[in-house]
Amino acid sequence: MNTPALLEGLRFVDTFFPSGGYAFSSGLEAAIQGGAVKTSDQFAKYIEDLLRGGMSRREALAVKLANRAGSAGLLGDAVQIDRELDATKLGRESRLASRQMGRQVIRVAADQILAKPILSEYRDEMEFERAPGHLAVTFGLTMGACGWNPEETAAAFLYQTAVGFISAAMRLTPMGQHEGQRILGEWLPLIERISREVDFDTAMSSWSPIQDIYAMRHGSLEWRLFRS
Amino acid sequence: MTLPIREGKRKTASRKTAASPEKKSSGRRKPSRKRNTPGRFATELVGRVGELRLKYAKPDHRTIIDHSYVTTPWKLFPPIYLDDTGAAYTLLVNPSGGLVGGDYLSIDMSLEKNAHVLISAPSANRVYRTEGKVSDQYITITVGPDAVLEWFPEHTIPFAGSRFRQILHATLAPGATLLLWDAVASGRIAREERWAFTDLENEIRITTASGRSLLERYVINPATDLGRVGLAEEWNYVASFYVVNDALAPEVWTRLESKLVPILDERPGQVLGGVSTPNVPGLAIKLLARRAPDLTYMLDALWAVIRKEVLNLPPVSLRKY
Repeated sequence: MNTPALLEGLRFVDTFFPSGGYAFSSGLEAAIQGGAVKTSDQFAKYIEDLLRGGMSRREALAVKLANRAGSAGLLGDAVQIDRELDATKLGRESRLASRQMGRQVIRVAADQILAKPILSEYRDEMEFERAPGHLAVTFGLTMGACGWNPEETAAAFLYQTAVGFISAAMRLTPMGQHEGQRILGEWLPLIERISREVDFDTAMSSWSPIQDIYAMRHGSLEWRLFRS
Repeated sequence: MTLPIREGKRKTASRKTAASPEKKSSGRRKPSRKRNTPGRFATELVGRVGELRLKYAKPDHRTIIDHSYVTTPWKLFPPIYLDDTGAAYTLLVNPSGGLVGGDYLSIDMSLEKNAHVLISAPSANRVYRTEGKVSDQYITITVGPDAVLEWFPEHTIPFAGSRFRQILHATLAPGATLLLWDAVASGRIAREERWAFTDLENEIRITTASGRSLLERYVINPATDLGRVGLAEEWNYVASFYVVNDALAPEVWTRLESKLVPILDERPGQVLGGVSTPNVPGLAIKLLARRAPDLTYMLDALWAVIRKEVLNLPPVSLRKY
């Protein structure tokens, strides 16, 4: 990857990007309130399990497929991936969170990366409700347009997701920054492996029943810091 | 080497069942070979490639089986009428005991306008150990306008070393209602055989008249890195309950969801459950249970409330136990 491509893509990975991700915990808040996550070790295992079983062959796969579709200018393929991903997201809050963050990404990307018309075309598909605009898809498209390859893009997506969970855990538990960095470092080999191993021909699937259930339960919590 | 495919004698039955005022010619038809059916001599396929085709209609106050086609190992009995609603209660009967590697069982079911069908099974769906071949179960469901399908088979038990793939696709016409339950055990729990199968793939896709789909697809390969069971290992049953209808007002789902939440909390530590609205009009419920009685209790409790709110019907007793 050349330096301009690196820099163009980095701003979409950075927590400074206004995707609104800070407002979502993807069910982590419900898991903590429900007693499933009490310690930093439990937190690390909970998210590792989610990355491996829940997101590898769903979000990471969608990112890679969207990246490839974006690089090839295949708008219809990207829309199809987006709809399939939408169908698999059974929990309302997680689905809406993913869509809200995804919409922010494609709007900024379409406005600012003018050399890649697929970004504005995809934004239009989304605005006319023909595409849900999930983050995995718009991020994949955008990073593809920036010159990142599918594996790099999937790694960046999972890293960004992992950082989001660390950030949420630091607000929901006594976990400190150093502990957060230690856990993040432990996840890196898994993130690398998922990004590399998830195959384009794999059917989209997800196995994280515990995390899915806590994400569903978030909506009925009596008090909430996060929106999901 | 690819073996030639021959159509040999196969135990089949194509018949009308229950009272049908407008009997159409049923005629024997060749079983349709699905694209994934292994190419083998037909004698090898007897009892291993089983088809069950059911077409339901509601010509008057009762739903009847208007046309059926059955090949071994499936057995079909006439529907039972458990109450005065006219709903046809049909048991999915596979007397062979379960699926072995290489089995390919299919169900193709359609409900015509206003039909009401309740499906269950007399026992759990056992999947035996295989030396390599997958046991396949393909289910295709079409629910016509304003028809109701309540799909409540017993849970699947994947034995140690088994390979199971289930694909269930349901398509709903405008106003159609689908209540769908799907449960899988970790194995033969009484033998302390848990999550010991080789692999398990389960796909449920429900498509509404708008073309939008709800999709649950999971693939578990415990021996692989990305396919491991993970934190769910401490649980023994995983189940899904879907309720879909595109004609009900959104407030119905909101009200129903609020009634289901306390039920899912009734057995803390023994059951972990959640309910939410998927991307099609309806509700999706996911739950994990440690013991079969808890799973059964949850099913009965959830089903009773959903039946009341969505169908305005009381709970139904399946008379199985």
